[in-house]
Amino acid sequence: MSASEVTAAQPVAPPRSGVLRRLMADRAATLAATLLAVLVGAAVLAPLIAPYDPYAIDLGKAMRTPDAEHWLGTDATGRDLLSRVLYGMRLTLTMGVSSVAIGGIIGAAIGVLAAFYRRLDGPVMRLIDMLLAFPAILIGLAAAALFGPGLAAVIFALIFATVPDVARIARGAAVSVAGQEYLEAGRAVGLSDVVLLWRYLALNCASTIFVFLTLRFGQVILIGSALGFLGLGAQPPTAELGMMAAEGRSMLFLAPHIVTVPCLFIFLIVLAANVVGDALRDVLDPRLVA
Amino acid sequence: MDFRKLIAGAALALGVALPATASSQTLNVMRVLDSFTYDPQRATAAAASEIAFLLGDTLVALDFDMKTIKPLLAKSWKVSDDGKTYTFDLRDDVTFCSGKKMTADDVVYTFNRMLDTEVKKPSRQKMGKVKAIRATGPHQLVYELEEPYNELLYTLTLMHGTVLNKENVETLGKDFGVKGFDGTGPFCWQSWTPRNEMTIVRHDAYKWGPPIYDNRGPAKVEKIVWKIVPEDASRMAAILSGQGDLTYAVPLWSVAELRKSPNVQVIAPKNYFRTCFIGNKITRDLMKDLAVRQAMNLAINREQIAKQIFFGNALPAPAYLHPDTPDFATATQNTPLGKYNPAEAKKLLDAAGWKPGADGVRVKDGVRLNPVLYILNTGSNPQVATAVQGFLRDIGIDLKIEAFDATAYFTKIATQEFDMFQLCNPYASAGDVLNVYWRSQNRPIPNRMNWIDADTDAWLDAGLQASDPKVRAENYAKVQDRIVANALWIPLVHDTVFMAANKKVKNAKPHAIFTSLLYKGLDVSF
Repeated sequence: MSASEVTAAQPVAPPRSGVLRRLMADRAATLAATLLAVLVGAAVLAPLIAPYDPYAIDLGKAMRTPDAEHWLGTDATGRDLLSRVLYGMRLTLTMGVSSVAIGGIIGAAIGVLAAFYRRLDGPVMRLIDMLLAFPAILIGLAAAALFGPGLAAVIFALIFATVPDVARIARGAAVSVAGQEYLEAGRAVGLSDVVLLWRYLALNCASTIFVFLTLRFGQVILIGSALGFLGLGAQPPTAELGMMAAEGRSMLFLAPHIVTVPCLFIFLIVLAANVVGDALRDVLDPRLVA
Repeated sequence: MDFRKLIAGAALALGVALPATASSQTLNVMRVLDSFTYDPQRATAAAASEIAFLLGDTLVALDFDMKTIKPLLAKSWKVSDDGKTYTFDLRDDVTFCSGKKMTADDVVYTFNRMLDTEVKKPSRQKMGKVKAIRATGPHQLVYELEEPYNELLYTLTLMHGTVLNKENVETLGKDFGVKGFDGTGPFCWQSWTPRNEMTIVRHDAYKWGPPIYDNRGPAKVEKIVWKIVPEDASRMAAILSGQGDLTYAVPLWSVAELRKSPNVQVIAPKNYFRTCFIGNKITRDLMKDLAVRQAMNLAINREQIAKQIFFGNALPAPAYLHPDTPDFATATQNTPLGKYNPAEAKKLLDAAGWKPGADGVRVKDGVRLNPVLYILNTGSNPQVATAVQGFLRDIGIDLKIEAFDATAYFTKIATQEFDMFQLCNPYASAGDVLNVYWRSQNRPIPNRMNWIDADTDAWLDAGLQASDPKVRAENYAKVQDRIVANALWIPLVHDTVFMAANKKVKNAKPHAIFTSLLYKGLDVSF
């Protein structure tokens, strides 16, 4: 029996079944998912596990390199970097999740509606094209000018930057689903637009949008950290990874760990999110499964 | 870690964008900030004065000791017995860069322009209460005052006293100091690209430099290029690699390491007084309470700030002036408010009715004690503010910090929307700083504290008018006692400034005048 015959003889799993099992089969994805889970868990439990008050200064211990007392060292005012990173991740992850979730919902709704109601398609998607022309950093600057620097401004900018991308993806997926015969059949038996939109269109596009959002999550963390680095995000003394990197920048040559530690955690979060997103795409995309 | 190797690598990585030295006689100076104008009467920042001193001259110069007045455009002067009339005899060999001869009419025009109220001139008050300024000959000037003003000669050494060419000012109009400046200084305006580069070239006819330099003119270097390099690491990398020749924007963290470099000299000016402080705007609701202001003073550990954030290159500041400042009130050095005592700070707040809330932040009548501090986001300011925020947090004050870059900061602190602001201010004497910050008439800027006190004004007047140095010192001491007791500032440290230069730069002796360390730059050579 040839190898191709063996392959052909094996049953092909339906695209949606055993997602977790197939995800676990990917060792890189398992590792990344575990890392992400650990980082999220550490962030959630920060008040319980942080060894020090993240806001307590101790100038006598300023710029200490990592040691037994301060595992990741201290910053320029003697604050414990491990504690600040744990609290900083809470904000960074909250920023990422909330902007991806809200931006995803709004963007998906716009995309699906544009695909379903064809009269809306032209004007709405031209508007989306215009929004795509604005870089997230520019939107962040405008939001900071409007609302003042702070987390609200950053989250607004990230949502604003996420919506057009998701709308484009959702519309593309929805247009291909909208051409399917079962949608016509549903319309023929008198199903309402709401049912058709939700059950036939939105749910069939969900995996595509979800995969895009997991990949988008890493980008959002990076953009959010960049805005924090520019001073548009959380304000002192709040711990946020991008802002912590900015605070350490002036001490780069004297105490490089102050800038390295938050950057390392941004790197780990983004890397883990991207690997997990990539693996999810592999297991959820029917074309790749086939 | 080998700092020099690291920073040399950074020089390559950062690709420090400095021009290659066009000539061995071109001095490349790096700095952080630019001025919005080089009109010496409209600008107040050191970024303007450091170039204005090179482009123009004042009637009199200040010696390196920051006390002795020396001739410059005026070869001599006389003061009347009543201290109200100054007669200046001017040099007759001075020319502007354009070649026009300077006369007393130019000086009269300059000073009358300064006194003109149509255009805002922040330093106008430094001219004293002028009765009349008139030319009594082509090279003689009489400066008459309504009342004695013992700071006049010193203030005439500052940037706003720079003599202007009337024709040049009138021809350029609003563009004067932006598109050009025809001065009598040792260098002439060549080009300015705002926030990027200023180029000035040697004034070859210059020979009237002040007798504080070995070389009276012309200058030894042909050209000076002032380049804005805002990043600390980039400036230090350029100095170490020789791409830049000189800077006096030296981050304090780099001083010890730069001193170890065989190619770099690091020099601090003598008699340089600068105090970094936080000012309290006492008309704001939270800051009206004296107990709050006093508690905040007691909560700050100045020794730690000086040692850890200024790397030992600063003195803790219990008082508002450096202890070596002329007319310093020594009693203020021992004020209880200057000593770190958080327990006493908490007691004061408790007694004033500010009780800790559920989150530890104090509350009184439903109002949270969370003042807003505006800071400039350069140098060590953010670290200082963060440290102050941490110290105040320990006594239950939730300080909110808002940081701005230099282009926005001075506009922001001209408003009434903040509770506290952070500044570092250079000065030469007690009278120099007290008359600027604490006169009622100087509200809202530079008296950003909004301090109104008839006694203070009277003592300042008496200090300015005193012919007896002892009387002057007594009056200025009363002012210092009053403002310290009212906790109008939170003085932090008396810091210093450093000049770092490549060792190929010779005779770069720094002058302490208004953080303009090159001053006339006449002796500097390669």
